[in-house]
Formats: sequence, C-alpha cells, structure tokens
Amino acid sequence: MPVISLFAWMLVIAFLAFIACMFEDLESDIGSQSNPNSQVQLAPEMGYIHRYFNKAISGEGLSYGLSCTISGTIAMLILLQLGSVGPKAAVLAIPVGAAVGSLVHMVRSSTCHVGRESAHKRFEQPIYLDVFYGHLLPIATHNFMAVICITAIAYIQCNLGILSGVTGASNPFPLPLLCLIWGLTVGAIGSSTGDIHYGTERVFQDKPFGEGRRVVYHGQICRYGDCGVRTSKDVAAFCAKFGGPATGLAFGLIVLFENWRTVIGMLLGGLSIGGLANPAVAAAWGIGIGIGIAIVLVILARTLEKWTRNKYGPFVGE
Amino acid sequence: MEPITLLLVLVCIIIGGLLSSLAVHLMPVGGAPAAMATATGIATGCVMLMTGASVTGLFTASTVASFWATNPNVILVALSGAVGSMLMMGFTMFVGNLIYIFGAGIVPCSGRVAVDPITKESQTEYKTPRTDGHGVPTVSFVSGILGGFSGGFGGALIYVMLVSDSYAHFSVATAGIVAMGIFIANAIIAAYNIGGTIEGFHDPKFKARIRTGLTCSLIVSALCGVIVVIAMLTGTLVGGVM
Repeated sequence: MPVISLFAWMLVIAFLAFIACMFEDLESDIGSQSNPNSQVQLAPEMGYIHRYFNKAISGEGLSYGLSCTISGTIAMLILLQLGSVGPKAAVLAIPVGAAVGSLVHMVRSSTCHVGRESAHKRFEQPIYLDVFYGHLLPIATHNFMAVICITAIAYIQCNLGILSGVTGASNPFPLPLLCLIWGLTVGAIGSSTGDIHYGTERVFQDKPFGEGRRVVYHGQICRYGDCGVRTSKDVAAFCAKFGGPATGLAFGLIVLFENWRTVIGMLLGGLSIGGLANPAVAAAWGIGIGIGIAIVLVILARTLEKWTRNKYGPFVGE
Repeated sequence: MEPITLLLVLVCIIIGGLLSSLAVHLMPVGGAPAAMATATGIATGCVMLMTGASVTGLFTASTVASFWATNPNVILVALSGAVGSMLMMGFTMFVGNLIYIFGAGIVPCSGRVAVDPITKESQTEYKTPRTDGHGVPTVSFVSGILGGFSGGFGGALIYVMLVSDSYAHFSVATAGIVAMGIFIANAIIAAYNIGGTIEGFHDPKFKARIRTGLTCSLIVSALCGVIVVIAMLTGTLVGGVM
C-alpha cells in the first residue's frame, strides 16, 4: 500500500508540474519576457509603435528561480513557526509563500516595463497607463499559479517519506533549494519551448505561415487583433490553445519520467516500508530505464522529422 | 584530512567542470533568434538551458545519493544525474519541435551544414532564405542528448564528491549549491566562448572553439576546486552551514 501511495504522489507531482509550466509560459507571453522580447524591444525602433507589455526582468529561469525561492523560503518560515500545528500548516504556508513571490514578481515587472518603455521615448513610444495597469494583475495571477504549484511540488518532495509512508522517499534538499531547482527548470523549459509559439507565430501573425521568420521581418511585429489594437492580454488567449499546454506537457513529462524511473528502480532494488534493500541495484535500474527512454525519444524525434519533411515538402517561395 | 582525498576532490571538480563546458558546447542553442525560427536550435540561451538541465540532474542525483545511508556510489550517482539531464534535454527538444511543426508549420533543418551527418538528408532545400535554419534536426537532437548526458554527469559528479562522507562531507544543501555554482560558472564561460548560437558537434563553430572553451573551463574549475579544498582543510563548510 505505501508503494502505491508513492506512485499516487508521483502522479500528483506530475500534474502540478503540468499546471506550473503552462502558467509559467503564459505569464511570460503576457509580459513578453524572454527571447521574443527582442522583437517587442526592437519594434519602436523600426517605427512600429505598439501596445504590448514589455518586461525582460532576466532570463525566465532566473526570474522564476527567484520567485519560487522567495515562496519556498516564506513557506518554510511559516511551517517552522507553526510547527506545533503539524502538516496542516502547509495549507496556509504554501499559498502565503506563493503570494509573496508573485507580489515581488509584480513589482519587478512594473519597474521593468516602465524603465524599458521610457527608454523608447526617442522612438516616440508612449507609456500607455492602461496597458501598464491592465497587465499587472494577469501577470501576478499567472505567476501565482505557477509558483504555488512549484512550492507544492517542493513541499511534497521534501515530505514524501511521511506522506507516502515509505522510509527514505523524501528528497534530502531543503524546501527553498528544491523551489530554486524547479523554478530554474520550469523557467528554462518555458523559455525553450513555449516561446516559440509566441515568438514565431503570434508576434508575426501577419507574415507568411510555415516559414522561418526572416531577419528582415525582425521588429515588424503584428500590432492589430481581430478587432482593434492588440495587447499582450490577447497573446495569452492564443498561446493557451497550443504553446502553453505543450510547454506544460514538456515539464510534466520530465517530472513524471524522472520520478517514475527512480521509483521503478527503487522497487526493483527491494523497496519496502523500512527502506531500500539494495541501493546499487535501484540506482542501476533507474539509469537503465532512463537510457531506454532517451533512445525512444531520439527515435520519435527522427520519425517526426521524417514525417514533417514528407508532409510539408521543401521550401517554396522566394 | 588525507592529501589523496583532497587531490581526488580537486580532480573530480576539474573533470566535472570540463564535462559541463563540453556539454554547453554540444547543446543546440539558438538563443533569441530560434524563438522566431530564424536560427536552428533550442529557443533559449546556453546558460539558461544548461542550468535547467543540470539542476534536473542534480535533483535525481540527490535522490539517488540518499539511497545509501553513508558513502554513496560515486559512479552510479553521477550516471543518475547524467540520465536526468539527458531526459530533460530530450523532452524539451521534442516538445520544442512539436511547436515548430504543428504551431508554426516549420520543417526542422540545419543552417550550418548542407547534409545532416547522421541521417544523410539534404538540409538546404528545406531552409527558409535569410534565416540560419530552424527547428531541431536529428543531428542537433542527438548532440543535445549527448550534451545533457555530459553536463548532468559533470554536475552530479561534483555534487556526490562534495556530499560523500569519504570526501568533502558537506551538507546536502551546501553541496547542491556549490555544485550548481561551479556548473554555472563553467556554463557562463562556455556561453561567452560560443558567442551566440551553435547547432551541436557538427557545427564548424564547435571544432573551432572547443579547445579555447575547455582551456578556460580548466582554469575556472581548478580555481573553484582550490577554494573547495581550502574550505575542506579549514573545515568551513564541513557538516554544512545550512
């Protein structure tokens, strides 16, 4: 029964990871953070005055690493203060920690947007106050969703031994360090995958579909929506249909398979309530399964590339 | 503390640092242009990507190291970290390609070589003019997987040497932070060496710059190793500060 409980918690962690990374990507799209920010930054210089929210606090990984670490630290402090209440204190500690992390993120977003837009004065780019105020709440709420999920993941992993009843199942890292680790990873994945849907497709929606964005298009961003002028809030609605969930899937799958192969390895290494009988066997099985998954991924990637080449064909046009 | 132990820790930190630097050079990093499908590779910077991959490996390494009550098996823990980073890279590149293909209708192709060295397929006719390629083609995918393995192994090797009772005997948290720090220092140096985008081991840039990158990494890792050895000798971090 405890081993089943371990698997159940693993699935909860994977689900939370999916939600976290999806909201992380959408938040970065709303704020034009990370790589596509280069286009929003370049647009006024090219004469494209826009109503996008422009923040690039730092790379997404570092930005989320900070938000999640703040959240984890506050949560741990509350948990320590309310030690007498027991595990129930987490119900209060995790949301409060995430709220503080999001507030700090919102402050950084504000200063970053105003600073960047005021530097564009020479290109006659105004600071639209409705854009400024209107985007802060979506940024904070999306950030809150991502940070609360990451803090919850870190809390579960820190206390997995107690929660599942299997001795030695908890991760030895403290809560804030686990928050930093998953914050960095969630940001790195959001930046690597989700940004493509925003940067390649949404920002250049008035350019030909199905080709790489040529250097001559850079800075010429799409400023008009189906009705009226486009703002960054319209970006989230578009990216939530594909880019966001796909990014969530990437992180969810990573967390799922990372934990799955470790737990399967532990089972094969003689896992019981008392702990592991044979650690070396457990570690070796985990490594073997991981290498197997990597080989399957390479085959899948090659198959997908082949299918795409046959389906789409060579580049046509000038 | 035995001089041989100190020497072993120093050597392992240098090896870990060198592997981390090699890993960054193997990554198919497209940076900001890749987010607009203007360059081949993953749509983020070297440091960001490699840090994300290495900390995923570090997480698995820490879990696996805790299997042993004392003296974790160095090779098995390092390999676990390597596989963790490799999987992170694999899933990220695969989903990235899914978005390129189904979200933007783009065929993955290399911009630096005319023929994929692994599949032997031509790349030129699939490339959009005035771009440096787009997506993650098979050769870059394989290079990224190898890079993830190398980086994860390096990071986890440093971690396990620092956390093991037989070697540095730092606390888990301190060992994690120090390993991450040494890794990031090497990743940043390698990112400066690459200077923009790189597609993987087949990229002419790889051959031209890897020697400089590894030399710089050797110096940085040795310096970090000496600091760790001083901390071990003085007992500053033994048992941990956290």
